[in-house]
Amino acid sequence: MFAIITLPTVVLDATANLKKHELENVSCCANVNVNRLLLSVNAPHPCCQWPRALTCTIYHAPLVSRQEIPPVFLCFRDRKEWADLEPVPQDDGPNPVVKIAYSEKFSDVYDYFRALLKNDERSERAFALTSEAIELNAANYTVWHYRRVLLQALSKDLREEMRYITAIIEEQPKNYQVWHHRRMVVEWLNDPSEELEFIADILSQDAKNYHAWQHRQWVIQEYKLWDDELDFVENLLEEDVRNNSAWNQRHFVISHTSGFSDAMEREIQYCLYQIKKAPNNESAWNYLKGILQPLGLSAQPGLLERVLELKQTHCSPYLLAFLFDCYEDALENSKENVAEEEQQKTLKKALEICQLLAQEDTIRKEYWLFLGRSLKNKHGSSDPSDEPLADDPEPSVPVSEQQEMS
Amino acid sequence: MAEEESQFEEFEQIDFLRDRHVRFFQRTLQVLPERYASLETTRLTIIFFALSGLDVLDALDVIDRNTMIEWIYSLQVLPTEDQVNLSRCGFRGSSHIGIPYSTKGPGVLHPYDSGHVAMTYTGLCSLLILGDDLSRVNKQACLAGLRALQLEDGSFYAVPEGSENDIRFIYCAASICYMLDDWSGMDIQKAIEYIRGSLSYDNGFGQGAGRESHGGWTYCAIASLCLMGRLEEALSQRELDRIRRWCIMRQQSGFQGRPNKPVDTCYSFWVGATLELLDVFQYTNFDKNRSFILSTQDRLVGGFAKWPDSHPDPLHAYLGLCGLSLIGEPSLRKVHPALNITQRAFQHVQQLQQTWRDSTGSCSRHLWG
Repeated sequence: MFAIITLPTVVLDATANLKKHELENVSCCANVNVNRLLLSVNAPHPCCQWPRALTCTIYHAPLVSRQEIPPVFLCFRDRKEWADLEPVPQDDGPNPVVKIAYSEKFSDVYDYFRALLKNDERSERAFALTSEAIELNAANYTVWHYRRVLLQALSKDLREEMRYITAIIEEQPKNYQVWHHRRMVVEWLNDPSEELEFIADILSQDAKNYHAWQHRQWVIQEYKLWDDELDFVENLLEEDVRNNSAWNQRHFVISHTSGFSDAMEREIQYCLYQIKKAPNNESAWNYLKGILQPLGLSAQPGLLERVLELKQTHCSPYLLAFLFDCYEDALENSKENVAEEEQQKTLKKALEICQLLAQEDTIRKEYWLFLGRSLKNKHGSSDPSDEPLADDPEPSVPVSEQQEMS
Repeated sequence: MAEEESQFEEFEQIDFLRDRHVRFFQRTLQVLPERYASLETTRLTIIFFALSGLDVLDALDVIDRNTMIEWIYSLQVLPTEDQVNLSRCGFRGSSHIGIPYSTKGPGVLHPYDSGHVAMTYTGLCSLLILGDDLSRVNKQACLAGLRALQLEDGSFYAVPEGSENDIRFIYCAASICYMLDDWSGMDIQKAIEYIRGSLSYDNGFGQGAGRESHGGWTYCAIASLCLMGRLEEALSQRELDRIRRWCIMRQQSGFQGRPNKPVDTCYSFWVGATLELLDVFQYTNFDKNRSFILSTQDRLVGGFAKWPDSHPDPLHAYLGLCGLSLIGEPSLRKVHPALNITQRAFQHVQQLQQTWRDSTGSCSRHLWG
């Protein structure tokens, strides 16, 4: 009996190394024997790498059924083109620990990977095998390193490699090795032109992916791609004003471009605007404090008043903590002509804030009270008529880790 | 009636299921299914989580120490006869390269065999937890391998072939030097510069300069400085106070790793231990922290997950226990917050180092760094 073959049909020598996504679009008409597969292609994947030489032999075989049969994976040890290589098994000795139970297929691929590695083979078949190995475990940094060695030794098409790594990162965006690999390829090509768009796509799936942001910062800094980044950040903050990664990126861009001196008033306005929209947003308050901190929170004229105003309508533990920090900064940096009375007034306000925080931000109650005690110990007058704090005074605990370590 | 039952259930939910966790780690040390394939190159870190976890549970008696010790030594990348691979020495994460099993030298020359800084770190920790005296560790080779990994900016690669470089590996390096009592493995000053450079505008630490502050990297920064004995030299009191604030704001119930992100069990340790090193952990809310950690406990298979109703894994199982240990959970051993091993294991390290000092009488190593 002959197999009825639908067109287009391709018959491939089983040693052709098809990637998984190619096999997905392929259905088996008949599974004949271990050395030949009869396949029909439904719709080739855009990344398909068809082997250059197709063996056009049609193998006649009884038709089993016309339903889709998953393609049979041929082990490397059964492929004649690999017969020259002795597979190298993993050797964990007599009492392996945390042993991972690999399937036959997995062990087969990696036994051959180890064999190639041992001989440091530089060949197309080695390169093809790294794809298989990556498919099974994309976190194996040795496979990636070996693949890079081969990319260079075989002068492989790096643009194609960019397409490859793009697909893999889309599937596994939280893997260190894939991002590092992409960085290496971008460096070799010296071409960052796809990066910002690619990273934006990854961030559209997870706007806080740390690897994506790190890669983005590297690309921008390395290739001086600052121009549109502030706009990009602002769009993300429009989508989610609580995106801490975006606030961080805002700081990154401004500190490397205009700096914060001329931009300070604009940035303060931006923060206050965002805080009014979403008062309980730690990221906005951290940013505000962060940009003012180098000069001193009490150095910015009119700021304290603006925050006190906000306190009436848009209060939050972050606002209160900010007020405390302003008062503390004033106490720390008071000029010589500031009267003791003025100092004590500021201290009193700060301590009131601590009490308020202890009530409003209850999870950190003990911390706020501790801060109050510490501040009082540092700046309190020796006047015995001072009101005592709610808790017993306690000296601030010194950092004593050096004794602990010895 | 229904109300009483649900209250009783609630009480049950907060029970700490010690025996389940012991069995979780025992199973981890045996066989894992293929879906854990991505852990192959980091198997030694998984052993560390399991062994240190059992140590915290005071349950190391359930394992065969000698078997473990032998297996860990088989992962050491030893110098070859001619020592040509000295800058690649340390410990591997597993046997995945295919080097034939051996617990003694000399090393086998292989074009792609080298140590990984996180495996050297967890390998040494694991040996110490098992009570080993490190006599079969080629310390000079480990230190040479470590030196080869440090970059000009003070950060470290993970492997000599190159990899990403960041603050995590500074922590591994500092731990290695600390355990081996030998700071010739790294340029401390450069490492401090990198750490300082990673301090963000919001007073947490990122993975490197300009990057978003994060609980894990903050731990690496502070713990490294503590191990080096340079905390107060590297950071001013004002900076330390600000870092304390950043850390303590991470508590929402349990702890989050970054502002406006969900809480996750592992940060009960990363952020909790940092707060402990900064002497302010006592001001956190222990009850809410405990409730959250226990809400991620897997009552069936043991272990902890990052979130409630998620699958447990060895890392979260270990760090969940450490998080509970920090708040003084009764049945758990105390954990050394900087080295991330039990105080019991830490005492063993100290005793060992004393015997090294006594036997060699060498003072010169202590002039380094």
